[in-house]
Amino acid sequence: MTDILQATGLVKAFGDLSAVDGVSFTIAQGETFGLLGPNGAGKTTSISMIAGLLESDAGEVRVSGEVISTRSTAGKSEIGLVPQDLAIYPDLTARENLAFFGRLYGMGGSDLASRTDEVLGVIGLADRSDDLINEYSGGMKRRLNIGIGLLHKPQLLILDEPTVGVDPQSRNAILESVERLSDEGMAVLYTTHYMEEAERLCDRVAIIDEGKIQAQGTRRELVEMVGQKDRVTISSVGDLAAAAKSVREVAGVSEATSSDHQLHILTDEASSNLPELLARITESGGTISGVEVLEPNLEAVFLHLTGKALRD
Amino acid sequence: MSAAAQIAIKDLKLRVRDRSAFIFGIVAPLVLAFVFNLVFGSVFDATTGLGLEYGMVDLDQSEISLVFGGVLEEVEADGILTIENYANEASAERAIEDDGIDAYYLIEDGFGEGVVTVGSPTIRVVGDIDAPTSTQIAASIAQQFSIGVEATQLAIATTAIVTSSQVTPQFVGSLSGDPSSAAFSYQLEDVSAATKQLDGTTYFSAAMAIFFLFFTVQFGVLGLLEEERDGTLARLKAAPIGRLSVVGGKAILAFLLGVISMTTLVVATSVPFLLNADWGAPFGVALLVVAGVLSAVGIMGLVASAAKTPEGAGNMGAIIAVVLGMLGGVFFPLGQGDDLLSKLTFLTPHAWFMRGLADLADTAPWTAALPATGALLVFAGVTGLIGLVLLRRRLER
Repeated sequence: MTDILQATGLVKAFGDLSAVDGVSFTIAQGETFGLLGPNGAGKTTSISMIAGLLESDAGEVRVSGEVISTRSTAGKSEIGLVPQDLAIYPDLTARENLAFFGRLYGMGGSDLASRTDEVLGVIGLADRSDDLINEYSGGMKRRLNIGIGLLHKPQLLILDEPTVGVDPQSRNAILESVERLSDEGMAVLYTTHYMEEAERLCDRVAIIDEGKIQAQGTRRELVEMVGQKDRVTISSVGDLAAAAKSVREVAGVSEATSSDHQLHILTDEASSNLPELLARITESGGTISGVEVLEPNLEAVFLHLTGKALRD
Repeated sequence: MSAAAQIAIKDLKLRVRDRSAFIFGIVAPLVLAFVFNLVFGSVFDATTGLGLEYGMVDLDQSEISLVFGGVLEEVEADGILTIENYANEASAERAIEDDGIDAYYLIEDGFGEGVVTVGSPTIRVVGDIDAPTSTQIAASIAQQFSIGVEATQLAIATTAIVTSSQVTPQFVGSLSGDPSSAAFSYQLEDVSAATKQLDGTTYFSAAMAIFFLFFTVQFGVLGLLEEERDGTLARLKAAPIGRLSVVGGKAILAFLLGVISMTTLVVATSVPFLLNADWGAPFGVALLVVAGVLSAVGIMGLVASAAKTPEGAGNMGAIIAVVLGMLGGVFFPLGQGDDLLSKLTFLTPHAWFMRGLADLADTAPWTAALPATGALLVFAGVTGLIGLVLLRRRLER
């Protein structure tokens, strides 16, 4: 699939502080790419360079083949930016906000009017479109913040921690919107320090810390990269010692122990070899009363790669 | 439409909604011009001679007393005062009591003879107790006349001593043929542009307009810092528009607000039943307004480029506006002498704006405003250019 974004060797320092050091990644059309890291990891600096807000000290950003720079407008109409902080005018209505930014992107006339209506519908603000933003709730403002980024139908949508400070209902609505946009073919760069959001939305994830990408890939690739396995806990009665011995013979299983009517198994791809695990226990005379599968998460990967928790 | 124009239109909409620009740009200067005019306007009017009404009681009717009357009539012809002749002191007293005149001159019988015989001729000035300034001016005119009388007396006495003659009217007549013309003359000097002064109403209208102009244009220029504070600058920088469009949009709005404010004030203060200010040739005034607004935009742009926050820029801008205003003579007219303050005042756009309007006074053509316009454009160019470079560098960060 075509790469919409190509970020290569991005470097940025503020005085002696190295904010971003050699960040490289690509995002294909229709792909949602997560930049996962704690506060101060270099996420916002990276996307500032990608969006053309900040000039990099070294490296290059290309969006749809165009080099992005603060000194040029080339390629910028292909980018939709949703900054972390609200970037809307509170003394204008939602419609006026959208119309203003739309005109800056060269839209006008009936195209702008119809697209504004469309976006207002997508973000669920059609019935409040002529109210001043001052009168909106925090969640509504967040949705408008995203809507402005979508208005000009960008090839690449950059969302910088869009759910910070948002109530659970609005958060879910935002995540659903991102999923829908990705399904429609938009490339999405999503920065977050919420592991569960990255796991839900992102096709691929880059783990960034202290300005450097520590690892990137699909969740499965990241987990495998650090040797994390699925943890399967089976509640059972019977000869659990025999069952554990039998389970250890299954391909992919690296560990199987028993204690207090439970079998604890570490395995690759639990979803594929779970039927065989259950069959082995039954054959060993065990009676199964419950099964729990815990897949390794990005939190664990992050901890493994950086030695610290994601929310530190 | 260009991105800069789009940004300016959006900002204008925001400013109209929050009404602050309207209050600073129109209401405040208009109200203060009214107040200043009420408090200080009469002082200005007195010093420029408007509204002075005097009487004359000439009981002497000599050639010399008639010369004094003639001098006053010449001054009257120049529109500085009005003079009314009264037959006797009682009728002049009544005129004062009836508020018909502010003061009257009383020339006693024998005044003329006293002059030529080197005696002690006296002109009495009787004034209304409620018009002390006008009375003092009347006394000053009489005093100036008496200095001329004394000089003439000295010349006559010296000649008489040298020629060993008696001082008689015939002797005096033999000196010049006409003793009165030998002694006195009245001359009105045409003041240069440097010392011209506006009438009180126009002065304070213009002063308040240029003073508040700096606050008004701030609303436009500070918009850039507000965008930065409110996060919307990131969106503007991410949009496919040049960085200078953002600065340009703010400058356009500042210029528009300034021109709207100044034009409204010029028109409103010129209305006869309001302040009836006389700004001068309209095209000349328009040049000064445009140049003055540009200089204010330049200076406030420079302030914005140096500040870190809109609040900081607002405070810094207010201090600069007040200091420049005081130095530029918007609260009280500054002297035009050779002292340091008089020189420093021309380091402010305010002084040049007021100077330009003074140059337009007395029905001068619009071209009279060109020197001041040029000076204001220099202010605009220098400060605007530095501000632009600094703001652009700020946007690159």
